[in-house]
Amino acid sequence: MGAASDSTQTADDEMGPLERWTHGVVNDQEKRNRLYKALFYVAAAFFLVTTLFPFYWLLVLALTPSVRQADWNVSIPLLGEVPFPTPQGFNVYAFVEVFQQVPFHLYVFNSFVLATATTVIVLLLASLAGYVFGRLEFPGRGLMMLAILAVSYFPPAAFLIPLYDAFLGNAVYIPFLDIELFEPPRLVNTPGSMIMPFSALFLPLSIFILTTFYSQIPDGLEDAARVEGTTRLGALFRVIMPLSAPGVATAAVLTFIAVYNEYFFSSIMALQNQPEQWSPLVGGILSYQTQYTTDFNLMAAASIVGVLPMLIIVVVAQEKIVSGLTDGALKE
Amino acid sequence: MARVHLDDVTKRYEDIVAVDEMNLEIRDGEFVCLVGPSGCGKSTTMETIAGLTKPTEGTVTIGETDVTNLPPKDRGVSMVFQNIALFPHMNVYENISFGLRLRKFDTDEIDRRVEQASDVVQLEGMLDREPSELSGGQQQRVAIARAIVRKPDVFLMDEPLANLDAKLRVHMRTELQRLHKQLDTTIIYVTHDQAEAMTMSDRIAVINAGELQQIDPPLVCYNEPKNRFVAGFIGSPSMNFVEGNLTDDGLTTDHFDLEFDSDGLEPIDDDVTMGIRPEDISLEREADSATSTSETIEARTDVLEPMGDEIFIYLSLDGASSEMMTSNEASTASNQLLMSVDPDTEVGEDESVSVVLDRSKVHLFETASGEAITHGIADLSDATPTASVAPEAESGGQHE
Repeated sequence: MGAASDSTQTADDEMGPLERWTHGVVNDQEKRNRLYKALFYVAAAFFLVTTLFPFYWLLVLALTPSVRQADWNVSIPLLGEVPFPTPQGFNVYAFVEVFQQVPFHLYVFNSFVLATATTVIVLLLASLAGYVFGRLEFPGRGLMMLAILAVSYFPPAAFLIPLYDAFLGNAVYIPFLDIELFEPPRLVNTPGSMIMPFSALFLPLSIFILTTFYSQIPDGLEDAARVEGTTRLGALFRVIMPLSAPGVATAAVLTFIAVYNEYFFSSIMALQNQPEQWSPLVGGILSYQTQYTTDFNLMAAASIVGVLPMLIIVVVAQEKIVSGLTDGALKE
Repeated sequence: MARVHLDDVTKRYEDIVAVDEMNLEIRDGEFVCLVGPSGCGKSTTMETIAGLTKPTEGTVTIGETDVTNLPPKDRGVSMVFQNIALFPHMNVYENISFGLRLRKFDTDEIDRRVEQASDVVQLEGMLDREPSELSGGQQQRVAIARAIVRKPDVFLMDEPLANLDAKLRVHMRTELQRLHKQLDTTIIYVTHDQAEAMTMSDRIAVINAGELQQIDPPLVCYNEPKNRFVAGFIGSPSMNFVEGNLTDDGLTTDHFDLEFDSDGLEPIDDDVTMGIRPEDISLEREADSATSTSETIEARTDVLEPMGDEIFIYLSLDGASSEMMTSNEASTASNQLLMSVDPDTEVGEDESVSVVLDRSKVHLFETASGEAITHGIADLSDATPTASVAPEAESGGQHE
């Protein structure tokens, strides 16, 4: 031991500073731990900056009055003028103006209703499907699961034209045969025209998540519930779903966020960008832009207002989502 | 309380027949064990009674009701599962009261019944705990409380003690017997552990390959097995079997002959299997004169297994009696016998010994079908006493 440290000592004298440092890290447990810790902080800081900087930028944009949103340069010693957004004023009034200029709360409400309704429908249907795929044996199960997953690989735009056509109230024909199937009600400008395609589009992912979770619940628990007095459906809602809470929460939050942020379908199904026609949140944000002017501060303020409910939900459900995405295992 | 009746119940899974035309009549208040090796269909039979699987054919009757097409919740049964299956998201109280709450009992009644049930299984003061905070035995008791709290007509137990350690298993075994006395409910109990079946049940139903082999009180199954399977399955260590041939004068095997009057036994001149339990073989020098012993059989001790209260001796028949065998008959069948002797018996490994069988405990089975021909040949051998003495003397001389 003594001889070894002696030789390290003499070696240290001949090495350069970098070499000495790497040598120290390799040999000394404490130095190594310090390096790991430092690397962790560097990586964490990097991710924090990249995710939080957009929010910072939104906040700066919202607080800076629109007339002063031209000059973002800050002068830094040695580097000179560097473009970096800093608040050029403190115009909190923008958050009030957001609601005065357009009925933004109605847009938020629309998105909230669409997202909630879609989530409820998706969870209900995906639970039933997940139960069937996860817990029952039947021929063609793999093939059906594949077919459902295939739907989620379609670009949503592929469905847009026929759906738009149908939701306008035009009769639906069998292609090439011209046999009229049925005449759908005119659904444009109603939540139905959005909730239906959203549910269909986001269902496969939820089915996939819930199938995995439900299949891991031991058969004995379901049998016990059934002997104790539930039906199969009752066992699903009273035992299997509560035990799969992380999975259910994950599916719910993913669906909710996706629909809450959705613009493509809803902007088309709402014929005009008006809250009365169920135009969504993003439509509301875009309505601060007119042909000649763009109120960046109001758009930024509206974005922040729109993000807040999401933020609250995610923070509340965070614990469950994280465990839902990572493990999904349940001990018997 | 109710009787349970299975009538020609068959359960097929694609090409596998799990239960094959099972006819089972379980009386009111009876404790019946379904035993059999793994995969014999005993659990499927249980699930059919519980309603968790629907039989392909046949009917299940509980009490006077045909329940074949009723869901489990309407059958008046409750069940204790092998993997205990407590709901992890509910505490002990919620677990026990689950069935009552589903049936919309009022709160006072639920409280009263839960308290009563937890009293019976000695779970006082644990109602607030989560299942994960309980030991295996306590969890099992909660599962039993959950099953009895509804006062079911029939109580189903699917290997409830299989996941417990050996000591706790013996303890719970007596608890269950006490419970049965206390509740006086029909209990159907599935196990592959024949010790559990022997000690607890009023009757044992031995099942193999989806078919009911025998349903009788434990000692009847032990002493008068209906066929070779039951004989081999009940009892530990299991019965010795020796292939042989039934003639007019008795039984001929490759290693020894037993003489008795086989009049009235079927089938004469055909292959039969002799069965004898380890405790019914004794060393000739220590044979109890009161029992009617058989001809002496020469054997060589192979392996000794001292168990403390007894010694198991593996006897090799080949070595001692090879010259008596015709070579082309050298059997692929058993040439080994297992016997048990007193722990203070002086016997070494690889030693020549003479053993005798207890004639009253010799079982004969038809080799082809496995059906029992007779249990005990003591009475039969009396008919021809002279014939049985001669070979004994002869082989005794050989031993010297």
